[in-house]
Amino acid sequence: MSTGGAAAEDGDRGSASDEAGGVTIDAKTARRMEQDRRDKILVRRLKLGDERAFQELVQTYQNRVFGLVFRMIGNRQEAEDLAQDVFLTVYKAIGSYRGEGRFYTWLYRVASNTCKNRIKYLKGRHFNTRVDVDDNTEAQMPSREGGALHSLQSQVPGPEAMIQGQRLQRAIQRELANLDEEHRLLIVLRDIEGLPYADIMRITGLPAGTVKSRLHRARVALKERMKSYLR
Amino acid sequence: MAQSETNSAEELMTAYLDHEMDEQESEAFEAMFADSPETQEELADLRQVLQLVQGLPEVEAPPDFFEKVAKKIRRRKLLEGDVPVFITVSFQVLSVMVVLVIAAVYTMIHLDRDPAAKLEKDPKAAVEVDGDTEVVGEAGAEASPAGPSSPASAD
Repeated sequence: MSTGGAAAEDGDRGSASDEAGGVTIDAKTARRMEQDRRDKILVRRLKLGDERAFQELVQTYQNRVFGLVFRMIGNRQEAEDLAQDVFLTVYKAIGSYRGEGRFYTWLYRVASNTCKNRIKYLKGRHFNTRVDVDDNTEAQMPSREGGALHSLQSQVPGPEAMIQGQRLQRAIQRELANLDEEHRLLIVLRDIEGLPYADIMRITGLPAGTVKSRLHRARVALKERMKSYLR
Repeated sequence: MAQSETNSAEELMTAYLDHEMDEQESEAFEAMFADSPETQEELADLRQVLQLVQGLPEVEAPPDFFEKVAKKIRRRKLLEGDVPVFITVSFQVLSVMVVLVIAAVYTMIHLDRDPAAKLEKDPKAAVEVDGDTEVVGEAGAEASPAGPSSPASAD
């Protein structure tokens, strides 16, 4: 059985491949399998009450969970509090996790539900989402492959690239925060976090077709909001 | 019927933008919209938005994130009346406990060496002075020219 096919289905592209015993596993899939194996061990230890296992799980996923929550909420302070709550829920509910599917999809489901609940609560209190992109220094926000911040800036030619790049970041985060939360979640999971469809389906509980059509509507909605910044 | 067609067009658009189609499917999709400048413009705009969104920098949790989570769990457990057995005692609490133990051991050793303290334990050393019990050391009593009425010198 070739797991390379599953990886392609999941949307993994451009990763190096190696062949062992006729089974082709690309590097990304191999890393995922290793992570899943580690997660399983950690969860088992956590269920037995091993305090170090919980610490390792938090430290493994804290940036990803914080990133997801921050993009959903748009406010660093609020996001930090919420991300802590996500791990608090994981700690309390780990007994109910039956180990079906990948641990991180369960963790993301907890995170997305926590976000949705908080958004509803904040809406009820007329909380005005403050987009704090200004205080995101490069030290706080290390970027992938030579700097994602740079990649945003490089789309704007000229000496004002830095300022314009930051303006674009602020605009995207602001418009993202104005989207319907279901749309927001799909854009964060797919376009920002880069998750495969199969995992998005597990997290959201939606079938593949619905994920794709809703994602399209989410992108169109964001495009409409970003119109003045395009071209 | 019309709704399902819309959904399917949206699904195709997403699959195309996410490079989820094989070459043949992509070509067929492009051919479908070859003579529709509106759709092509839409696709170009969507690609641009995707590029912007995908270019957002990664964010990192604060360095003391785990400590805060652990603190929150301990607080909740205390509020709920449970004994916090699971979470590690933080480094600071451990440090304080170690310092206290060292201080206690040091004090005990010091007390054992302190002659005054030894005398305190010796009931014979207690001398009645004007109705009050005053503790004096044997050595101190001998050395003191003022006799038993003078206060004991500890050293």
